[in-house]
Amino acid sequence: LPYVPRIPTAALLGKVTATTFALERPCCIFDRHANASDAVWLVVAFANASATFRNPLSWADVPPYKQLPTAHSYMTLETAVAAYACSAPSPAVLRVGDDTACRDQGRHDPCNGPLPSPGPYRVKFLLMGCHGPKAETRWSDPILLQRAVSPGTIDPAPSHRGSAVVVIASILASLGTVLATAVLGALGAKLWGSLCHRDLGTSAFSHRSYRTHHIPPALPQPQPLSCDCSPPGLGCFALRPPAPHHRN
Amino acid sequence: MAKSDDCVHILQGLLVFGNVVIGMCGIALTAECIYFVTDPHGLYPLLEATENNDIYAAAWIGIFVGFALFALSILGIIGVIKSDRTLLLVYIILMLITFAFEMASCITAATHRDFLTPNLFLKQMLERYQKSDPANNNDQLMIEGVTKTWDKLMLQNHCCGVLGPSDWQDYTSAFRVTHSDADFPWPRKCCVMDAQGVPVNLDGCKLGVPGYYNNDGCYDAISGPMNTHAWGVAWFGFAILCWTFCVLLGTMFYWSGIEY
Repeated sequence: LPYVPRIPTAALLGKVTATTFALERPCCIFDRHANASDAVWLVVAFANASATFRNPLSWADVPPYKQLPTAHSYMTLETAVAAYACSAPSPAVLRVGDDTACRDQGRHDPCNGPLPSPGPYRVKFLLMGCHGPKAETRWSDPILLQRAVSPGTIDPAPSHRGSAVVVIASILASLGTVLATAVLGALGAKLWGSLCHRDLGTSAFSHRSYRTHHIPPALPQPQPLSCDCSPPGLGCFALRPPAPHHRN
Repeated sequence: MAKSDDCVHILQGLLVFGNVVIGMCGIALTAECIYFVTDPHGLYPLLEATENNDIYAAAWIGIFVGFALFALSILGIIGVIKSDRTLLLVYIILMLITFAFEMASCITAATHRDFLTPNLFLKQMLERYQKSDPANNNDQLMIEGVTKTWDKLMLQNHCCGVLGPSDWQDYTSAFRVTHSDADFPWPRKCCVMDAQGVPVNLDGCKLGVPGYYNNDGCYDAISGPMNTHAWGVAWFGFAILCWTFCVLLGTMFYWSGIEY
């Protein structure tokens, strides 16, 4: 059959992940060759093993999912051919690798398990009847799965220093310096000024102007009438009433 | 004489006005920093896990500086009105100390905002989100914080990953260790949910069908609040400091003119 399976072209973010990929559902491809009882299988093989793949001659020879590491191919997604008919309502994509339960439980049914390695795969559809393969499509282009990188490779350092930081830091630093200088300068000037004034105050000849006060001559104090003392030191003949000699 | 009296009165009036503005800005700064410290968007666990939460330290300093500015402005008003040299000297020295602290807060907030790059959050998300084997108790706390915060972020903002769901595909992660790629190309929270918290179409979400998963990255939802926080602290503090500079110069000029 001239059909080539391919990954859907629609913008689906999950069409190729690390262990799964999606395929466009082929419609109206097998109708001419198929009976109602036939089944369509999907053959998945490593890209370098696709040339050596031989179609299984009967249902018993179908390589299961478990044989992928050894046989480098397996077949899966067994579906009745009616699902690929022209008139069948269907989702537009098939997801290969969707079923994690069958990988863990190891059932013998055709297992659509996740693909173990990202290595390029090629797929083709195979129409199997009761007596063996009846028709097949062409091999697809190699499909490479996602390879994830370790998060240790992420470098969280910022790429460049923002300009806002530089502006803020420089302006604030200069303001702070100006303030500190101004305070120190003002304090220093005051200290120096007060030191100088104290020095000047201790010298005898200061530059301050003196205001003179007019001191009137003192009037002679009225002598006590009772004391006539002419020569000093001779004592006073007191005519005062005798003061008491001792205190009470 | 009258003219110099008028000049003195004008200077006093200006200084009082300047101090009133400083006081009000101090209260505003305190209120703003309290708002940031209460973390209304719940992003603090992410910063804590990066061990780079200095913008929160800057906000804490801002709270105390705001209070100090308010108290000092009252002191300044009293000192200017009474023309008291000692009070004004104390005011100037304490204001210088507050100026230094606020300078530190502004520069810290501005500098550390630059460290919060998308790659930083991406690395942390990949290494910690839903990590199943914590190295120690501290690691366990960080893991829980990061996981809860990311779940809440992705649900509320309808986003996935830092730059998009492809983050989970481009890099291996701790999440990938416990959740297989086939079942969980990206976490379930990236899917569009219905009212019960169940994905509307799980297969569509896994395939990446537009409409069933959230394609946007969460970085905008993270950096928006953080930018507001950092620039709010840094630029508002810068504006206050410029005004305080002028008021302080005026006060020093006034102080040097007071007679004993």
